[in-house]
Amino acid sequence: MSNVNKKWYSGMLSTEDWWAVWIGFFLFALGLFSLLGVDLVGWFAKTHTWALGHPEKGFSTALSATGGKFFGDGQPNLLLGQVYETMSPIISFLMTYIVFTALACLGAACMKLDLKKFFQGWTVIFIITWACWIIGHEAHFKAVPSEWADYGITWGLSLGGGASYMLALVVGLIIGNSMKGTAKFLSEAAKPEWFIKTAIVCLGIKVGLKCMEAAGFTLELALAGAAATFVAYMLFWPIIYTLGRKVFKLPRQWAATLSSGISICGVSASVATGGAIRARPVIVVVVSMLIVVFAMVELLILPPLYTATSMDEPIVAGAAMGMTVKTDGADAAAGAILDEMMVNKAAKMGMNWQSDWILTSAIMTKVWIDIFIGLWAFVLALIWIYKVERSPGQSRVGPSEIWHRFPKFVIGYLATWFVYLGVLFIAPGMTDIAQVGAYTVQSPMRKMFFMLCFVAIGVITDFSKLKGMGRMALLYAIALFVIIAPIAYAVAYIFHHGMMPLAAG
Amino acid sequence: MKPDIDMTMVHDGKRWLARNGTIEASGSTLEELDENLKALIISNDKYKHATSVTVFMGFDYSTIPTWIRQYHTHYFNRYVTFDL
Repeated sequence: MSNVNKKWYSGMLSTEDWWAVWIGFFLFALGLFSLLGVDLVGWFAKTHTWALGHPEKGFSTALSATGGKFFGDGQPNLLLGQVYETMSPIISFLMTYIVFTALACLGAACMKLDLKKFFQGWTVIFIITWACWIIGHEAHFKAVPSEWADYGITWGLSLGGGASYMLALVVGLIIGNSMKGTAKFLSEAAKPEWFIKTAIVCLGIKVGLKCMEAAGFTLELALAGAAATFVAYMLFWPIIYTLGRKVFKLPRQWAATLSSGISICGVSASVATGGAIRARPVIVVVVSMLIVVFAMVELLILPPLYTATSMDEPIVAGAAMGMTVKTDGADAAAGAILDEMMVNKAAKMGMNWQSDWILTSAIMTKVWIDIFIGLWAFVLALIWIYKVERSPGQSRVGPSEIWHRFPKFVIGYLATWFVYLGVLFIAPGMTDIAQVGAYTVQSPMRKMFFMLCFVAIGVITDFSKLKGMGRMALLYAIALFVIIAPIAYAVAYIFHHGMMPLAAG
Repeated sequence: MKPDIDMTMVHDGKRWLARNGTIEASGSTLEELDENLKALIISNDKYKHATSVTVFMGFDYSTIPTWIRQYHTHYFNRYVTFDL
């Protein structure tokens, strides 16, 4: 069956981008019920730090229903809260699996994926995700030195929440690179972009809540992200394109598609650019393979590098990450790891930073980039058709191309952000009960989608695909480390210099 | 914009193909595709009195590999007007 974007509503039920919005909105709507005094999301399983062999904080305490924490003395005590407080962790986990499997399979069916393969792959990825999440919360991996005594341990890696993310990534990479048959089996359900876009829609709730405590800072972060992104991309694309054409002698269509992929937002930009300049789809496919592999390289190298070198400018590091790491999934994953590593390191240095500000700065620059790509592809299409190729065939570029290329998950991100901001602005007295539903969706549910993304992005990354890429891979490596990363950091420094995460507590 | 002819377009690895239920044209470049399509339209009795014909060619995104589709949802559509 053909799939042509003809009407403005084309793809609303058949693309991952829109399904990130629908699932995000569904969870967001469930969370909003806490404003009516009922907690409809508290059944979701939440991981806790646990210690192997500890009599009170052993494995049996690794999971619980999230809603239980909002029931008891001094808590909002919403309807169903008591049910969650006494709910078995196994029931909570099973409910989590059933609800999210149903949502994911509904989306997969509408997207015309092979439902049987998707269900099987999803189930395996879901189990791997939760296993990594729980193991990563074991105190030897997660707890910082000040917590060791609480868990009865004398040594640990002190990785914080980043332990689970790194474990999920490593397991995904092992499957993707040394268990190719399993990777193929999982491929129908390995959708890192879908998972991360859903997570970003849920993250909008958190940004809305953050606005209540730091509206000026959040606005400044958003505007600085927009300005930095605009400046950076005015530099990136022409430099990489010129390098590709003049030094690496790439044909025009290859150079343009690769330049967008490296400079803008990865696969999405290369597809948009390939389409804008009417390139043969094979060019887009080859460039996309390269981008996916390099995105993993960026994800593995940059968070520890910035943590080691940029502790005095954490928001700069987050924004630079957003401009450097390609693809939404890898960027959000890198931002999440950077956030965990920096907040954790700051805690060891005696500074208590709120989590997720560094991640938010990485996501904000990436969201601006994603918004710009539709407009950039439109401008490029006009330039290409009317100036570069100058075909006499009277071919026209319709403005609908901008809409078809607009990242729809951004609508979900902004909607959840502004609705929560509006609710809390209009009824500030309801902040406490709003937090009950909002917390579950923007924290553990959102983190589960991050974890799913980590596993899935590892599964689809096959480093052997770099073989035979020759000068394209060399151009990518030079462009990334010599041009993109330094310029991104410099531009991020100019616009975000001095901004720090708010203090926790 | 309402086109006179509505077509779906794909690339088979070597050639661009544009087709609907009644017309099918191909070309190794889009320029060649347009030339061949124009020739087919001129030879079609339905358009013998027309002075110009606008054709919509929507790229069939289902021909893009599944793993890439999650990153972006659109390739390109084109409107081409042929003066007959």
